[in-house]
Amino acid sequence: MNMMWIVISAAAVLSVAALATAWAQSKIGTAGAAALAEKPELAGTIIVLLAIPETMVILGFIVAVLILLRAGGG
Amino acid sequence: MAKVRVLGPKDRFDAALSAVQDFGQLQLAEAPSRTGVERARLSPPEQRRRVQLTRVLAEVEEALRLLSADGARAEVRPATTADLAHWARLADATARAARALRDRETGLEEERALVSRYRDFLSAVLPAVRQVADTARLTSRAVVVPASTRSTVDALTDALREQLGGEFTMSTHELPGGDLAILLVLPREFSDKLDARLAEARVPEVPLPQAYRDMPLERAVPKMLARLDEIPLELRACADDRRLLAASRGAELRQARAAIDDWLSTAAAHERTAVTEHAFDLEGWLPERSLAEFMRRVTAAAGPAVVIESVAREAWGTEDAPVVLSNPRLFRPFEQIIGLLPLPRYGSIDPTPFVAVFFPLIFGMMLGDVGYGVLLAILAVIIHARTERGSFLRTAAEIAGPCAAFAIIFGVLYGEYFGDLGIRLLGIHPIIFDREKAVFAALALAVGLGVVQVVLGLVLGAITAFHKEPKHALGRGVSAVMVLLVVGALLAAFEVLPKGLFTPAVIALLIAFPLLVFAEGVIAPVELLATLGNVLSYARIMAIGTASVMLAVVANQMVGAFGGTVVGLVFALLFHLVNFAIGLFSPAIHALRLHYVEFFGKFYNPGGRPFQPFGHRAGPLVPETTRKLS
Repeated sequence: MNMMWIVISAAAVLSVAALATAWAQSKIGTAGAAALAEKPELAGTIIVLLAIPETMVILGFIVAVLILLRAGGG
Repeated sequence: MAKVRVLGPKDRFDAALSAVQDFGQLQLAEAPSRTGVERARLSPPEQRRRVQLTRVLAEVEEALRLLSADGARAEVRPATTADLAHWARLADATARAARALRDRETGLEEERALVSRYRDFLSAVLPAVRQVADTARLTSRAVVVPASTRSTVDALTDALREQLGGEFTMSTHELPGGDLAILLVLPREFSDKLDARLAEARVPEVPLPQAYRDMPLERAVPKMLARLDEIPLELRACADDRRLLAASRGAELRQARAAIDDWLSTAAAHERTAVTEHAFDLEGWLPERSLAEFMRRVTAAAGPAVVIESVAREAWGTEDAPVVLSNPRLFRPFEQIIGLLPLPRYGSIDPTPFVAVFFPLIFGMMLGDVGYGVLLAILAVIIHARTERGSFLRTAAEIAGPCAAFAIIFGVLYGEYFGDLGIRLLGIHPIIFDREKAVFAALALAVGLGVVQVVLGLVLGAITAFHKEPKHALGRGVSAVMVLLVVGALLAAFEVLPKGLFTPAVIALLIAFPLLVFAEGVIAPVELLATLGNVLSYARIMAIGTASVMLAVVANQMVGAFGGTVVGLVFALLFHLVNFAIGLFSPAIHALRLHYVEFFGKFYNPGGRPFQPFGHRAGPLVPETTRKLS
């Protein structure tokens, strides 16, 4: 397979996952900051909620690595 | 926890209550409701005093806060009625003085901010303002145009030119933030027209501090500029006054706070006591290890007529019992990590020991660099040495110690010494694998740890649910077995395990499946998939670790990449510093998340009531050895 397409595919996977994570975290971060202002004791829960969407970018990263290593012959 | 009942004749109640308060380890339960007994009530004068003292306490706390004299503890001594009256007056006078100081400081800060903002403009226009003042037929206006409406300046100039011809001058000055300050000089007969035009264009005058608003500009400007030198001296005087006030009244106010708080706590304790005509009945919880000492001390203080009995475990509900985490010294700092969540319910598993092992392990797996690990250890030692016991930073340093140790251990295993510096300079090779190249091995290690922790979580969940919800416990157990079977089948399929194991593993899965549905309902397969997702989530350990090592390698490559070695070295050091900062933050957050979501989700049972014993604000009056709860 053309190396260029392999690299573009890996980049696309990571980019879309990163954008999705960023979008989700921006929403959760805004709501979380507002909630923290009123109830500081929710810090633990907010950290957890904020960290949840990061799974998307991490799995995106794994898939990108797999694409590069498997399809790229690494 | 143990639940105790303190019973005795009514005339020994005050002595018994005082001994309980001195011991400081009994959390009082609601007054028991039984036939023939009633809740003790405060007399009307006591109720009035409570209202007054609550108000005085608020005033005392306000005064201490304003004086920043909140910290130190005060010794509790019995207070007389005269003391309470004196403290009420003292708190009122001190709070008023402290508020006046605070208001003065706020006013000075605002004045300084305002004058500083317009200082350059005022200095620049001062000669013109003085010239205008000397000329009877001229007048001036200083206005400010916000950055967002700067385009209106041209429109304003055109409008003024149209009305006044060329008989005016404008000096503009850009302020921090983009606003424009403008000095307009024009013949006095046009001042009404100018004011009308400015009002129409909604351009405000330069806001001057209150004291100078009615003053002509040529007198106000030099005074305001001179104030910039006077204000710091006045602020220092305010700070000195506050320090003096804190030094002269702080100790007495703290003593007042401790005594009033004691009185109010005792009043609240009265209302949690059941009484008959001749006897009292007080119930509460305390740590089991303190039971014998509690009985000895209260009996000694209140006399043999007061009886203390332990309430049988079957006679009280776990929902009401307070929770106190009790762990060995080494694990205790990790209670802070649990403290970010609601407390676990009474009788459920305290996850602190597991967190104390897995948190540093996961952190170390992610950071995994000897150099960064040593830096973290040095940082932890410095912070530990410079902070007080029990402070947030001291606890953070105590958590950072084991994290640094694991980072060093994994650094040795990965062969990472500030990235690839160990290999390049010293020829040190990895013991298990090189994270820069062996991505799959790192992934397998991360997911392997995920299997261990998630299965452990499911087993703990089964243990927690065993007595009350045996069916749910069965479901957790079956889930744990199925996760292991799925992993076994996958390893057999990829020939990591003997291929012959694949079929038995799949058959076992098919047998376990209906058992899981029976135990957990039709939603169970979805939950099993979520659990497998939880295991995969541990892949972040590899992802963050790889990112960390790649950044370190890039930092090392900067030496020589920027022409001169010194410049490259500086860039490399800066990049390592950034990577170190990221390497502390990111693994900590992700290790927390793996615990809170993936691990705790399997067994953690939140909703416990915090342990708030009845005692003195200054702390229990018992020897240090028996004071510790854990």
